[in-house]
Amino acid sequence: MQNVEPQLTKRFGVKDGHTLKVFLETGGYSSLKNLFAKKPAEVIEEVKASGLKGRGGAGFSCGMKWSFVPQTTGKPIYLAVNADEGEPGTFTDNYMLMNDPHLLLEGILCACYAINSHAAYIYVRGEFYGQIQRLNAAIDEARKAGYLGKDIQGSGFDLEVTVHRGAGAYICGEETGLLESLEGKPGKPRIKPPFPAVVGLFGCPTIVNNVKTLASVPWIIANGAAAYAAIGTKESTGTHLFGLSGHVNQTGYWEMPFGLPVLEFIEKYGKGVKGGRLKAVIPGGSSCPVLTAEECADLALSYESMRDHKTMFGTGCAIVMNEHTDMAKVLKNLTRFYSHESCGQCTPCREGTAWEDRLMRKILEGEATTQELGMMLEIADNMEGKTICVLAAALAMPVRSFIQKFRADFEKYCKPSISAVPEAIS
Amino acid sequence: MAKIKIDGKELEVPDGTNVLEAVLSNGLHLEHFCYHSYLPVAGNCRTCMVEIEGPKGPLLTIGCNTKVAEGMVIHTDTPKAKTAQKSALEMLLLDHPLDCPVCDKAGECKLQNQYMEYGLYDFRRGVPHYFKGGKAEDIGEHIILDQERCVLCTRCIRFVDEIPKSSELGIVGRGYESKITIFPDARLDNPYSGNVTDICPVGALTLKEVRFKQRVWFLKKAESICPGCSRGCNITVEHNRGRIYRFMPRENAELNKTWICDEGRFSFDHFQENRVTGVRLGHSEKGLQEALHQLSEILSGMGREEVAGLASPWAALEDNFILKKLFEKKFDVKNLVAPIWAAKGGADNLLKLAEKYPNEQGLKLLGIPPDDQGFWDRMEKGAFKAVIVMNQDPFGQDEERAKKAYGRVKVLVVLSVHKTKTVEQAGMVFPVRAFTEKSGTFVNATGRLQRFRQAVEPENPDVMESSLWLCRLAGALQVEGFDFEDTPSIFNAMAKETEALKGLTFQSLPSTGKVLGMAPIAPEPFQGVKAQPNVRGKAKA
Repeated sequence: MQNVEPQLTKRFGVKDGHTLKVFLETGGYSSLKNLFAKKPAEVIEEVKASGLKGRGGAGFSCGMKWSFVPQTTGKPIYLAVNADEGEPGTFTDNYMLMNDPHLLLEGILCACYAINSHAAYIYVRGEFYGQIQRLNAAIDEARKAGYLGKDIQGSGFDLEVTVHRGAGAYICGEETGLLESLEGKPGKPRIKPPFPAVVGLFGCPTIVNNVKTLASVPWIIANGAAAYAAIGTKESTGTHLFGLSGHVNQTGYWEMPFGLPVLEFIEKYGKGVKGGRLKAVIPGGSSCPVLTAEECADLALSYESMRDHKTMFGTGCAIVMNEHTDMAKVLKNLTRFYSHESCGQCTPCREGTAWEDRLMRKILEGEATTQELGMMLEIADNMEGKTICVLAAALAMPVRSFIQKFRADFEKYCKPSISAVPEAIS
Repeated sequence: MAKIKIDGKELEVPDGTNVLEAVLSNGLHLEHFCYHSYLPVAGNCRTCMVEIEGPKGPLLTIGCNTKVAEGMVIHTDTPKAKTAQKSALEMLLLDHPLDCPVCDKAGECKLQNQYMEYGLYDFRRGVPHYFKGGKAEDIGEHIILDQERCVLCTRCIRFVDEIPKSSELGIVGRGYESKITIFPDARLDNPYSGNVTDICPVGALTLKEVRFKQRVWFLKKAESICPGCSRGCNITVEHNRGRIYRFMPRENAELNKTWICDEGRFSFDHFQENRVTGVRLGHSEKGLQEALHQLSEILSGMGREEVAGLASPWAALEDNFILKKLFEKKFDVKNLVAPIWAAKGGADNLLKLAEKYPNEQGLKLLGIPPDDQGFWDRMEKGAFKAVIVMNQDPFGQDEERAKKAYGRVKVLVVLSVHKTKTVEQAGMVFPVRAFTEKSGTFVNATGRLQRFRQAVEPENPDVMESSLWLCRLAGALQVEGFDFEDTPSIFNAMAKETEALKGLTFQSLPSTGKVLGMAPIAPEPFQGVKAQPNVRGKAKA
């Protein structure tokens, strides 16, 4: 693996690394010289060339997203920072906010300059109380030192950053749900089109970016796109904060370039699987299709490798499960979570997630036959891709992969099928 | 205009039309719940799924939020689209109480209808029924909410947000626990509240006035016009066995869209109560034939100038036309006036107008002048021996003046629908038909000539249409040219002699009326409401 300098975790473990003083001593805000020397369009091109992908889960090209903002509407342009980290198994953004809030601010500054925005909102998960205090303190410091506010460092560029505390709904991490919530409404994702880059916050063009995406930007601006693109793999450039949880001897998160094989990641960083052999890995947060131990053999931590294995890179935080794990109980946990977190707008999601959960409960109570398993798969098909946002798909994918790949774990709860249930809808 | 293809059928639809609208307005079918042509798109029911051909292959998406584009190829009947439509319906029906036998919506319920058209799958919930609760909650003066029947389409919420802008309704809870409810301490009492029950695709919102009164499949419908004010909203009168059960709004894109006010909606009982039931001469009931004979003898004994008439903005164009014609031929048309009583208030910038009569513009069209001081002066001086009052209530409107004026009138002849103060004072009373019992036309505030059709037949055959009664009287008075048998023929004769109606016939009048180009007496409806949110997708003929 390439040996590269840390970009995101440079100040992790450094005493007072979250303060402006230490931030500046360790090279903070050094990207600004390059930033203000460029035209905004050049910044977007630079980020495009770096190959930086959105770290929130979808993995869309960051520079490309920025280029969608129309500059001639006469309306203000907003940046919304998605710090509503809520994907089960994912826990790295909160360390970013805690340890290096100024890096995020620097990234926000770069992004806002590129898209010509003068107001950014950081939407932080409500439970991140300490992180919110750190962020607010950092914003105060930065404003006093002239890194925020009017005419930043003599560049003539103005920017205000506001922290907004969420109220604890998973769906507010969906970009349009987040915008609705920022506007003070219930967090129900918006119907698209129009996309937020055109009609977003308060009806104005808005870019929604994840914390780690923005935190990666200053290094790109300071060191150039080519240097960034040289790190990682061809399609997954740069570094990322990879997390590990579940049945491993050492849980945690590490910054490294993309491309490390997953089994090596578990062995080297997780110190091996705890309590037995490896059974399954959910690679990037609970919404990603689960992989069996066999499938993990040639799996690497990169967008393309995950795609080749018919799963998703997601947030890059893997959940490891050992051979004694009951996959039916794991799936019940997920169905409960998604049925509780569905906003309830779209019929297939509102009814489908709860229906899956009720069927899982029936299965675990030993009341179901194997035909209910087929029904669950079919409901998953009827949910996915038929709703406003991807929450329904985020349950459909685990349901399908869990039942198909670990059918024995489910069948052991099921009575043999005796009577025909009505035929599938087709 | 964009050329598109839906299920192989080539169509040309206006730019900006959405796919669902393009489907529906061209006689094709596609399942839908949350979409309403006159409300913003919510896209939450996920039933109007179609496949649209694209560069990366067919894309499954909802029709209501997809605008047509030149060359778009749309499929509503591919296996993928059909499965999506069907499965969304299955989920909508998943925990529906299926209390159709006691639900007032049964018969006009979108869940029922669309199950028959697009569902027809076998039931397979596999888990116990989930009870949402919230049965028969009283949420407003007219409205009952059954949360367990609700499919969360948010049509009602969008209506109260967009049209009356009173925003009493919202969703509480999340996911499967979501419920439509009213905000704490609020009541759904806005003047347009009844509309939420029309747009509710299921029986979640029902009207107290209509609940449990009649199964909707027994109701017969007559195209009509609300006579509550001079807006002239299009309605259907729904009735069974001679009784009217409800007024429902009828779509007119240029006038009331699909809305009516509560005042108009609940006026249906007004036309069935407090009615004049029989012919009365002095204090005794009489047969119509005999009474008309007596009246004609009395009138024949009077001079041309000695008979006055009151036309009416509440009466149809035909009634006023015949009254005017009779005065022209038999009496003196100078003595025919139409008192327009002062506006009574209760107007807003949506539909309701202060002018609480449906045909003021019709009087202008016929050239019947409003009453003036001279008319009342002549009456007080005893210039008139007889006054024929048609659908007017001068005693009810201004008793003092009426007493003074009518004091010297020998015979007060009143044609009336309702028992009014004037009826009490009258020497001769003839019951006439309400607008629900006859056909006719009104001209509304903005100069739109609109037709209404007969819904019910009065029990007593002596209760005649004012116009036909006047024709009988003319016959008894031996005046020629009044041998009409029905309203359409009166209208057609009137159209021939009236410049503004040239070329029109009763039968060919469009069901949404015809704008006559008169000066309006009130502004267009829906001031301050966003323009039509969806482009209607009628193909070019």
